Amino acid sequence: MSLYLESPRTKKRNAAERRFQSYGLAAIAAALFFLVVLLGQIIGNGSGAFIQTRLTVPVTLDAAAIEKAEGSMMKTSGYRKLIVASLSAEMQAKGIEAELDSKAAKALLSSGAPNTLRQHVLANPADIGSTVTLKLAGSSRLDGYMKGRVTRESISDDKAITPAHLDLADELIGVGLLSKGFNWGFVTGNDASDLRPEQSGMGQSVLGSLAMMLVVLAVCLPISVAASIYLEEFAPKNKLTQFIEVNISNLAAVPSIVFGILALAAFIQFGGGTIGIEAFRASAPLVGGLALSLMTLPTIIIATRAALKAVPQSMRDAALGVGASKMQAVFHHVLPLAMPGIMTGTIIGLAAALGETAPLLLIGMVAFVQTDISGATSFFTDPNVGMPAQIYIWATRADGAWYERAWGGIILLLIFLACMNIVAILLRRKFERRW
Amino acid sequence: MFDQPSNLAPQVETPVTTDHKITAENVNVHYGDTHAIKDVNVKIDDKTVTAFIGPSGCGKSTFLRCLNRMNDTIDICRVSGLIELDGEDINHAKVDPVQLRAKVGMVFQKPNPFPKSIFDNVAYGPRIHGQAANKAELDEIVEKSLRSAALWKEVKDRLHAPGTGLSGGQQQRLCIARAVATAPEVLLMDEPCSALDPIATAQVEELIDELRENFSVVIVTHSMQQAARVSQKTAFFHLGELVEFGETGQIFTNPHDSRTESYITGRIG
Repeated sequence: MSLYLESPRTKKRNAAERRFQSYGLAAIAAALFFLVVLLGQIIGNGSGAFIQTRLTVPVTLDAAAIEKAEGSMMKTSGYRKLIVASLSAEMQAKGIEAELDSKAAKALLSSGAPNTLRQHVLANPADIGSTVTLKLAGSSRLDGYMKGRVTRESISDDKAITPAHLDLADELIGVGLLSKGFNWGFVTGNDASDLRPEQSGMGQSVLGSLAMMLVVLAVCLPISVAASIYLEEFAPKNKLTQFIEVNISNLAAVPSIVFGILALAAFIQFGGGTIGIEAFRASAPLVGGLALSLMTLPTIIIATRAALKAVPQSMRDAALGVGASKMQAVFHHVLPLAMPGIMTGTIIGLAAALGETAPLLLIGMVAFVQTDISGATSFFTDPNVGMPAQIYIWATRADGAWYERAWGGIILLLIFLACMNIVAILLRRKFERRW
Repeated sequence: MFDQPSNLAPQVETPVTTDHKITAENVNVHYGDTHAIKDVNVKIDDKTVTAFIGPSGCGKSTFLRCLNRMNDTIDICRVSGLIELDGEDINHAKVDPVQLRAKVGMVFQKPNPFPKSIFDNVAYGPRIHGQAANKAELDEIVEKSLRSAALWKEVKDRLHAPGTGLSGGQQQRLCIARAVATAPEVLLMDEPCSALDPIATAQVEELIDELRENFSVVIVTHSMQQAARVSQKTAFFHLGELVEFGETGQIFTNPHDSRTESYITGRIG
């Protein structure tokens, strides 16, 4: 038979190969499609959280009014009056005829705006008596209107805002008193109460997640590397070590919520309660980190053991052959060669821990945290939330503005993860020996 | 099958000399249920090249690894019998294998340089044994070792280049330099030329001949020509037994055991 002709067998074989390749291509195309949809959705829904509508208000800080406000029970209501008065005056000066009644002010201004003003006054007492131009957050409805989420039709049943208020907002835009800008508060701020999504931020939970990741790293890396080295290089191969190995693999498959309830029982109830360790309290990132460590340990141990196994026996022989002790052989030669693999396993474990919500729910790391964390010790022990827990909290709230924030939180979570990965890649580069 | 019990043969054939470096008596090795080495008795002389030959799986490498207790690293391996280095039992409870291996160096079948620089490869042994007081001494040891491995001229300008970047033959000579750097008394070589081309093999063989001036060398080889070229004593292993041990010339020209004759004439193995 001529070489120019395909035999029926070859034809079949080539067809099978082409078919297999097309399956592979289809799988990759589908994966890419989902990735694009996912990223598109996240960015489309979440980018709004990074933009905030603000009213530019030149506030006249009348000394007497401020003194009166500070002396009253509801300190912010005095400040509110200051803002409304200043805004009204500015509107008249700019030629807007509509009146800013208290209902309109409530509809347009964030309920957190008076506090923003008060914090400014407390921080800059020298400004009292003069006029300062502040950018005050608009309400979530106004913010939604500016971003197209809220329309005149969608507010037909809304008691908080009316079409007339939106007309006023249009006029404010016309004279430049109302504008959109980058929302640093979302990156650096704390959670806010249900009614003030415009004041909420992820900053607190970023710190919480950072603290937990540091705990996980500090706990998991030494323990799992030590355990892996012992099991892989030193432990006798007997029934007991086999039993331990099987159970490590099993632990990696245990649902994370089980580790959450274990952490609740072991750290908070027993450690914090029965023994009385001060730092082991509910909602503390230290405990959260320990709970996530329980979950992450098996993953890192398995990866580390695989990395150690992948180091050729000839390296150990070479070291032992020149009279190195077993430990010297491991630490001088085997471990450095296994390091890139260990780093990869660690980052996979940390990434899983970063995104884990279930254990945090059980140890109370879904706290509403309004105050800033200041000191170094409180960084690990003060009540806090993790990023996924914060996103979870926001996603359960009703207002459309919270929905946007939850998506925005996911963007920050992904950025955090990307940063972690970059650090890991840089470290791996450093450890990697290309020869 | 054969008319004389084979394990008696070596005792009969071993020439009587007083200069034994290593003495092995009734050595048995078991891998799990496999009896890999059966009652081996051998006396290895100082400043002599001793070759272990035999077909694959005959136990010659296993026996070689007994001499520096490398078999300790294999869990299922059990060694019994007496092996003495300068009259001291190397399997004695008080003996630390690390100290033994500093005295009995080893070169493996496949070149296995560390993924470090040429200098660090050679300097590793002296460093961990504290054999150099300062940098100058270490430099001297490295140079001496590389010279004795006939590698110095080729690498002296790139001591800090990676050892794994050398050619196969150079890598094996680097491993020899690494092994001699700790100033061992015995050098074990497990088929050191099996991965090398004829030119590199010739270089390593030449090297082995030079090393004989200072060390007792034990070499496992598949090549009978190589055994004939480099060794003074030859031991023939077959199915875990030491069949015959004697002067290389006698083994190759006038073997006493019919199995040895069959092997060296190419009928078994």
